[in-house]
Amino acid sequence: MDEGPVSDYAKLNWKLADPIDAQTQAIVISGFGGLGTGRALFLQVSNSGGDWLTALRKVAPISTAEPPTEAEAKRSAAIAFTWSGLQAMGLDARALASFSDPFREGMLQEDRLRRLGDRRKDEWQKTVVDGGPKWSGNCMAGRPVERAEGTAFAVRDPDKHEETLRTELTVHVLLLLYAIDDAEADAWRKDVEQVLAKFGVRTAHHLPLMVDPNGIGISSEHFGFADGLSQPVPFDADPKAKRKMVTANGSPVPADPIHGVPLGEILFGYTNGHNEPAPGPVVPADDRGRPQAAKLEPHPEGEGFFDFGRNGSYLVARELLQDVAAFWCSMDANAKHIREQDPSATQVTSYWLAERVVGRNRDGHLLCPKPMNLLNPLAGGGPDSNYRFYKSDRHGTGCPPGSHVRRANPRDALSPFPDEGALKAAMKSANNHRILRRGRKFGPKIEDERKDDNVPRGLLFMCLNTDIARQFEFVQQTWLMNSNFATLLDETDPLIGPPGRMTIREEPLRRTIEVDTFVKFAGGEYFFLPSLPALAYLEAL
Amino acid sequence: MPLEVKPASHSQLNALISTFRLAVEKSDDDYDLIADQVPVLHFMSMSVFDHADFDPLFILEANFDGPAPIFWGQLCSIFEEELRAMLRCCKRPLDGDGPLYDAVTEPGSRAPVAPYFETRTQAPSVFHHGNRGLTRHRILDDEKLFVAMRKAIDVEKGPSPYRGLEPEVARLRLRKDLISQFPWLDLSAPKRVPLAEGTADVVRLALFAVVLLCVLSLPGLLLAPFVRWTTYLLVVAGLTALVAGLLFVKRRGLEGTEVAGGFPKVVLRPYWLILYAIGIAVYVVIATVLLLFIADAISRLLAALGGAPLWGEKAPFWSAARIVGLGLLAAPLSLGLILLRVRYHEKRDSTRENPALDLERVAEMGRREDWIAQNHMGSIVLIKPGALRTAIIRAGHLGLGLVLRVTARAGYLGNMRTVHFAHWAFLNNGSRLLFLSNFDHSWGSYLDDFIEKASKGLTLAWGSGVGFPPARFLILDGAAHGRLFKTWALASRSVSRFWYSAYRDLTVDQIERNHRLANGLRARSLSDDEASEWMRDL
Repeated sequence: MDEGPVSDYAKLNWKLADPIDAQTQAIVISGFGGLGTGRALFLQVSNSGGDWLTALRKVAPISTAEPPTEAEAKRSAAIAFTWSGLQAMGLDARALASFSDPFREGMLQEDRLRRLGDRRKDEWQKTVVDGGPKWSGNCMAGRPVERAEGTAFAVRDPDKHEETLRTELTVHVLLLLYAIDDAEADAWRKDVEQVLAKFGVRTAHHLPLMVDPNGIGISSEHFGFADGLSQPVPFDADPKAKRKMVTANGSPVPADPIHGVPLGEILFGYTNGHNEPAPGPVVPADDRGRPQAAKLEPHPEGEGFFDFGRNGSYLVARELLQDVAAFWCSMDANAKHIREQDPSATQVTSYWLAERVVGRNRDGHLLCPKPMNLLNPLAGGGPDSNYRFYKSDRHGTGCPPGSHVRRANPRDALSPFPDEGALKAAMKSANNHRILRRGRKFGPKIEDERKDDNVPRGLLFMCLNTDIARQFEFVQQTWLMNSNFATLLDETDPLIGPPGRMTIREEPLRRTIEVDTFVKFAGGEYFFLPSLPALAYLEAL
Repeated sequence: MPLEVKPASHSQLNALISTFRLAVEKSDDDYDLIADQVPVLHFMSMSVFDHADFDPLFILEANFDGPAPIFWGQLCSIFEEELRAMLRCCKRPLDGDGPLYDAVTEPGSRAPVAPYFETRTQAPSVFHHGNRGLTRHRILDDEKLFVAMRKAIDVEKGPSPYRGLEPEVARLRLRKDLISQFPWLDLSAPKRVPLAEGTADVVRLALFAVVLLCVLSLPGLLLAPFVRWTTYLLVVAGLTALVAGLLFVKRRGLEGTEVAGGFPKVVLRPYWLILYAIGIAVYVVIATVLLLFIADAISRLLAALGGAPLWGEKAPFWSAARIVGLGLLAAPLSLGLILLRVRYHEKRDSTRENPALDLERVAEMGRREDWIAQNHMGSIVLIKPGALRTAIIRAGHLGLGLVLRVTARAGYLGNMRTVHFAHWAFLNNGSRLLFLSNFDHSWGSYLDDFIEKASKGLTLAWGSGVGFPPARFLILDGAAHGRLFKTWALASRSVSRFWYSAYRDLTVDQIERNHRLANGLRARSLSDDEASEWMRDL
């Protein structure tokens, strides 16, 4: 490789420059790792208007991407809205129409559920909790139904839409409260709920969130593996930008060859991976001058409209329940089976298999090059994520081609040719489908990894992206749940997918294991993460 | 095959296609009937394009092995009356096929419909077959073998008989165990692209290059015989420099439409330079012979008309070769002039940033997509007007088709291997461009792949469409505006009302893998390295 990886911890801790840092929510630049606990409140509003946001500002001000204040070092908050939530609050119909299709239709649109691997032919898949997900935005903008087969003498019914699935709970707003400990988080939650109740805003559902970072700041998910390691690092891709908006230690962040994505992949209004300003929603001008009062900028293309999206993003949330006992028991059974068949396979233990299902070891080191990439830890001892698969582990004998991390971010692994041009093209192409993850786990750590205690636990998967279809949905459909990924046949993601086969490459002959369902989808939706000016506009509704 | 539809029969045709689909599917996704009865068929689709600019158009697309009459015979033998009913919804052709149309569609007609379909079939302008040279039969057999190998290796109880052995020993054992089930393993694999076919492809491409160079040399060829060579060189060099300067001035895109990344870098390797030199020498010889032939003919004609002969008794080879060589020096000038004119148009082409999407149609397409490993798309766009651009797109398609025949023999289009069958065709006197593709994974991922890795080729092939995102020099920018391009392409699509795939779970990549493994197992012996490589594929 002619250019070495340039990322290091400093660049992973990138910041946004003045003035956009004051207009952007802190969750864009931070996972609030210093605040170990948190509460996810899934709110339902019953009246139109944004008064409740004014009241909320007093009890839980939304944190900005500016350097944290002393108060924010103890309590930080983030907020995002579903399409149905914005509708319930009374956002203008033209503004509602200006959001992208996935956001307007919602995660539970029938065709989308099939692509995400949740539902097929009116049946929920095994990767979904019994009876289907419990919460969503219940967005009502179902797709239009085709007119009577063709144009000849057709009668049109413009109001006819397909029926959409509805969940028991309707979520309009996701309010994330991050605090230093559980007592603080509970007290804060109580205060917030009391204030919001006065405005008819109630908590439809909530999750207690947590992280438990180890000495080098890495938290593990419930199966016991380090999580949230490989993240995109944005850079300014607009050639005409006078100022660099992304900085690390005060200097502009260059385009990282492995994790670099244009800022427009994460924030609306900036150049994205498809060479255009990432399109976001708009709001119309009005007699009361609300957009101007909220400091929204005029939309660059739409006369009479203001840019509602700039410095905002879409937040994808999926509540995923993890069955820790099922995971480890399945690994035990497979290891036992393999060693019974082949007593020489002494390396095959439950843990060896689990590492291959994930693609990393517990500490987060990638399983390649064989045996694994321990040689090059980052400053502070963290695992090196500046890794390209093709050169050192082309055939996946270290990190299996179908493992969770290699599916979730194949880097250059899908390149068909070894020449530098093809490898770079594969890498660049893969980086057009990156998501900035902000998930947190919920539920207590299991006592005995082999014994089901019937306590719900899992991950509130959250990620930021500006093009839901090209980023989050692509990763889920084309990589994770694709049964033909990387020339494998008839197998999907072994960690989060349905029961089935997984191929583990070894020399000279690969092994296969049968995995079970370990992760189940319990609720989810696409949210709009507004900028601070957009939030001020919503407040004035 | 494009057939214009009587607008008043549009809904009836859609209904007939839906009925046909139900008749073909025994259950929800079981296409046994067509699989058994039409064994040469890989993919087939039926769509009715409903466009603001023209009457509905019925497109029946079929990708099959072997000669067309056999395919149509097989298809029509089981669906004669269904297809006849569909034809009745279509307009009577205005050309000489009218009587044939009458014969097959008149009330109570029993005339076979196959000849009509054969007559109306339109060959594509560019055609790409991902797994070229693999018949459907071969693809399915290779898959069966792969599944059988997997089953043999992954025994449920007891140790796998193939583990712990040297790869070649394991391979031979597997071969021995499976040969009774797959007796064809004892035969050597048929050549995918027979030598004659491969040679013909190369010769056709070379001829295309010669003609292209000839055309570009034409201004030089016409000028060179009549001026001193020094004057000629001065004029050509001066004009070339002028045109190059003008092109440089006009190189930038329209405000805000330029995308980072310029022309593809041409790496001059010694090997290539030698190849180019040989190519030019071959061109000069062929073109000289052609020129002599033409000059001789003109000379004879002039003599016959009583005029003075052009070249004297006989044109000497070397003086003709000199003219061809001098003419060739003007080729960059011609190319520059063409590009200059292209830039003039490109700077004035309007782009469709927000095409009207028929939301009902988009929703209907969504309902039919992403059920199996593959998907299908059909699209019709209008072509930009003008003689120069017509010439460029015709020559471009011809050249692209010939290049694909020579280079894309193992499924790859550039770095991508996701297309089973794709083709382009000109419709309505070349005013519309039809594109049909049977590809792997979702539509979004298919297009993203091309946008991210081959936007230049995509711009070259589709940039002639009205409303295409702003392009430069035929290949730059254009489809690199990913979302603009996708919206533009989405608006041109139609619902694939009927679509059949003979191997629904296989990607192009997997078909190639299965074939590699099958060929490896056919071999009577492999070296240790070859056997290890073979085993890694399992």
